[in-house]
Amino acid sequence: MSKTEFNPRQAALEFDSETPESIIKLALENFDNIAISFSGAEDVVLIDMATRINPDVDVFSLDTGRLHAETYQFIENVREHYNLDIDILFPDSESVQELVRNKGLYSFYKDGHQECCSIRKVIPLRRKLLSLDAWITGQRKDQSPGTRNTVPVVENDSAFSTADKKLIKFNPLSNWSSARVWEYIRNNNVPYNPLHEKGYISIGCEPCTRPVLPNQHEREGRWWWEEATKKECGLHAGNLDK
Amino acid sequence: MKITFVKKIKSDGKPCQKCAEVQTRLEQEGFINKISRTVIADERDPDSEGMQLARQYTVDRAPFFIVEEEGSEAKIYTVYFKFVKEVLNKEASEKDTAKDLMDNNPDLDFL
Repeated sequence: MSKTEFNPRQAALEFDSETPESIIKLALENFDNIAISFSGAEDVVLIDMATRINPDVDVFSLDTGRLHAETYQFIENVREHYNLDIDILFPDSESVQELVRNKGLYSFYKDGHQECCSIRKVIPLRRKLLSLDAWITGQRKDQSPGTRNTVPVVENDSAFSTADKKLIKFNPLSNWSSARVWEYIRNNNVPYNPLHEKGYISIGCEPCTRPVLPNQHEREGRWWWEEATKKECGLHAGNLDK
Repeated sequence: MKITFVKKIKSDGKPCQKCAEVQTRLEQEGFINKISRTVIADERDPDSEGMQLARQYTVDRAPFFIVEEEGSEAKIYTVYFKFVKEVLNKEASEKDTAKDLMDNNPDLDFL
């Protein structure tokens, strides 16, 4: 529960022009049962900012079992650098075994990444979020212009809220560009994943992430083989507008 | 209670894969007989009944369910597990729930 009645819509309006640090402060002041989701990439800036406010802030990370060695090393570096207990979440071993037994280790190249991501990422994430009142993510508008251009700095998390329990999501970096994030990392000597030095921008699981070329969007480094099918669920807007 | 299941035919004339999956789940889980009507939203025909319903209820995804009860406003469900839980009073499996979450939140896997 929030310490006082919290209105995410109003907070989003009031804090849209505020700094990420102010938004994190707002989050930590209003919620005790809150945690930062850390992907092992540039969202490390959230940890850097939050630990200046509360050195014992809760952080969790999803270990899908398929991350790069560099990412595991980086998560460990962050744990030591900030003296944090990072809660590492794992997928259900029986579900992973069943997937691999039935479809092999690289099924996502044949029938899409959703099933693998569901088992290795979304289910453990959902279990964790069911235990929280609020969470903090590194989502930014510029990461995926098609779908993230409306990411508010604070929102009611409609995906993970349940009929019995409301979950609030803070996106303090929403209005920052990638360049601004990296300016912060350099200016504050924040540790970063060495994969960034090899051309990776967005970092996920090893088989589903690749470096991008100059001026390619970071999204092009993820699930590059299945772009054509990504938006099948939409109803064609032109027809709807008639 | 009247439940309308709206599924899509894509602009290339092929059936929507997600709609077919949801129909299969309805059948496998024994809910298909709870559906009063199945309506097609044909992207090639803006006047098809499903496209008209999508406009009427401002829905931009398929498939979706329209649940109508006397004396209440129609409720729209675009997420299968929520429809199953709230209308048919059955908990979806964790795996199905995760799949629906991903289908309806294209950026989730990007976390």
